[in-house]
Amino acid sequence: MSKLQITTDVPNEIKLTRTFDAPKRLVLRAMTEPALIARWMGNSCSPIASVDVDFRVGGSYRYVFRNQDGSEFAFTGVYREIGDGRIVHTERFNDAPDESLVTTTLVEHAGVTTMTAVMRFSSQAIRDMVIGTGMERGAAESYDNLAALVASL
Amino acid sequence: MVLNMTAHAERLDATFAALADPTRRAILARLAKGEATVMELAAPFAISQPAISKHLKVLERAGLIARGRDAQRRPCKLVPGPLRAVDAWIERYRELWEQSFEALDGVLEDLKAEERAAVRKEKPR
Repeated sequence: MSKLQITTDVPNEIKLTRTFDAPKRLVLRAMTEPALIARWMGNSCSPIASVDVDFRVGGSYRYVFRNQDGSEFAFTGVYREIGDGRIVHTERFNDAPDESLVTTTLVEHAGVTTMTAVMRFSSQAIRDMVIGTGMERGAAESYDNLAALVASL
Repeated sequence: MVLNMTAHAERLDATFAALADPTRRAILARLAKGEATVMELAAPFAISQPAISKHLKVLERAGLIARGRDAQRRPCKLVPGPLRAVDAWIERYRELWEQSFEALDGVLEDLKAEERAAVRKEKPR
């Protein structure tokens, strides 16, 4: 089972919850210092190619990932709010039509930090696509699964 | 890959726009079960056939459906390609973060070890 929990109580939102076995100050450092971000963001198919972070309100960030075939994709956004254990930023995938607003909170209890990231989309339709298909893991190939995907929209 | 080509990005844009309407999503859900005529598609909705036809035009332009050549019936059919592109786009997103967070666990272990080492240095026996 995945440690990454996904819930959808609000129609146009996705909530990601993940605990990390480390104090809040370290999780915050790992999520905001470019040299540390470069050590964990990305995966074997799409390792991170560059990290630019201007961690201040109004500052922007850009994460570029490189696929095995040499093509690249990016997440970009602007920090809207930075507080104690609370970060609000926009997020856009490549030049996707929709930009989401991500509110990340970090709460520490007994040395374990719970991260909650609420992604707010401009419509329920787009949110539902993110969730409906995310649950159909590896389902893109068969027509039957495609029917289920469409029915879930 | 789907992810960084402008043509694909534009097609995704059209797909998202077409999917933004609940009636159009309902039409696609119906067509996922098999082809249907405009009259059959209009039946469950409290809107006119011309209104349904307008929605079908949007779906057709987005490449999500195709119309048959039979002049009388012109049955509509789902075209799976664009939805697969959306599906792949989203799947990549989820997988990326799941695996990234696993790597973050490792970085946090390193940071904790660094802190412990720093504390030991500060307080030599």
